[in-house]
Amino acid sequence: MIPAKDIAVMIPAYNEGPMIGEVVTHVRTCGYKNIIVVDDGSRDNTRKQALDAGARVISHPINRGAGAASQTGLHYARQQGFPYVIQLDADGQHHPEDMETLIAKMAEGRWDIVIGSRFIQMSEGIPQRRIAYNRVSNLLTNWFCRGSYSDSQSGFRMLNRRAIEKLNLGLDGFGYCSEMIVVGERIGLSIGEAAIKVSYTEYSMSKGQDLHMGITTAVNLIWKLIFHQTH
Amino acid sequence: MRLEIYQIVVPIISAIFIWGLASRFRRSRASMQEVVVGSLFWLAVAVFALFPDFFSRKIARLFGIKSNINAIIFFCLGLIFFFQYKLFFMIKKQQMALTNLTRKIALEQQPDKEVEA
Ligand SMILES: Nc1nc2c(ncn2[C@@H]2O[C@H](COP(=O)(O)OP(=O)(O)OP(=O)(O)O)[C@@H](O)[C@H]2O)c(=O)[nH]1
Ligand SMILES: [Mg+2]
Repeated sequence: MIPAKDIAVMIPAYNEGPMIGEVVTHVRTCGYKNIIVVDDGSRDNTRKQALDAGARVISHPINRGAGAASQTGLHYARQQGFPYVIQLDADGQHHPEDMETLIAKMAEGRWDIVIGSRFIQMSEGIPQRRIAYNRVSNLLTNWFCRGSYSDSQSGFRMLNRRAIEKLNLGLDGFGYCSEMIVVGERIGLSIGEAAIKVSYTEYSMSKGQDLHMGITTAVNLIWKLIFHQTH
Repeated sequence: MRLEIYQIVVPIISAIFIWGLASRFRRSRASMQEVVVGSLFWLAVAVFALFPDFFSRKIARLFGIKSNINAIIFFCLGLIFFFQYKLFFMIKKQQMALTNLTRKIALEQQPDKEVEA
């Protein structure tokens, strides 16, 4: 098994003040002490809440997007020499208990990245529109991939040192979810999936993505994948 | 409208070439420049084969010019697309630089490093 001290739990957060403290605390009660919150230029008290809950906080002075925040977290984990990173969302949608599932999958030793998929065992209560949005995103992502992935947009992932060291993602926004998969494949990382659950609370829905952002994300992704062949 | 044979064959050939480019790209066999330029070229060829007279007549009428002005117009369109492309590219570069700077500042300020230094 992989010891908890080898794992950095990395949580990108943007204006998640009302929720971040709870999420960090929940992760701690699961036995993980290395918690890194990447505060992505939040205008609320995200930073303070995260610090008070016992996380290390890295702060972007200005907002750069979920992808930029995630990559900053990976950079930090690289600097600190963590063998594993688990990333999860700051809005309380993910269940920290599911980290065990990812860890078990990673412990098989075959994967460099394990993606927590909401769709292996259809997680209850996902709004119809989100399901449709994710289908389209999967189609688009899988078109660029050798493998076929059931939840290309999941923000719940585990990476081993090889992935942490090799990945240099360039997309600032939500396109990084797909980018990590496509680029990961291209640089020879093997990617597996494990089933997770997800909650769509009123809080998380109020911040969810919309069609406009979806289209922007798709355009950025296609642009990146097409005009920057490598890395 | 009577279709000449070439009006059917040429678009099919164009489609095959575009498909070929796309699948080559997917297997990382072709560079992107190749794919975009190639696809645009074949698309233009197909469209012109389908409506050879239509475009020249429409455009001439639109601008109230009878003479063969097509070349100029398409040149201008080409220029606009080129600058659009350049602009998008420049913005992306700026965004990337800004993100790298933001990241650098964030990582330099994080406490563990300060203690070390
Ligand atoms: N929206 C947004 N989220 C960011 C940003 N930077 C970091 N994040 C974090 O990225 C995570 C995912 O954001 P969400 O907006 O919930 O996106 P999602 O969960 O993929 O989409 P939904 O299914 O609509 O909830 C959260 O932990 C955010 O705090 C940013 O600039 N914008
Ligand atoms: Mg969410």
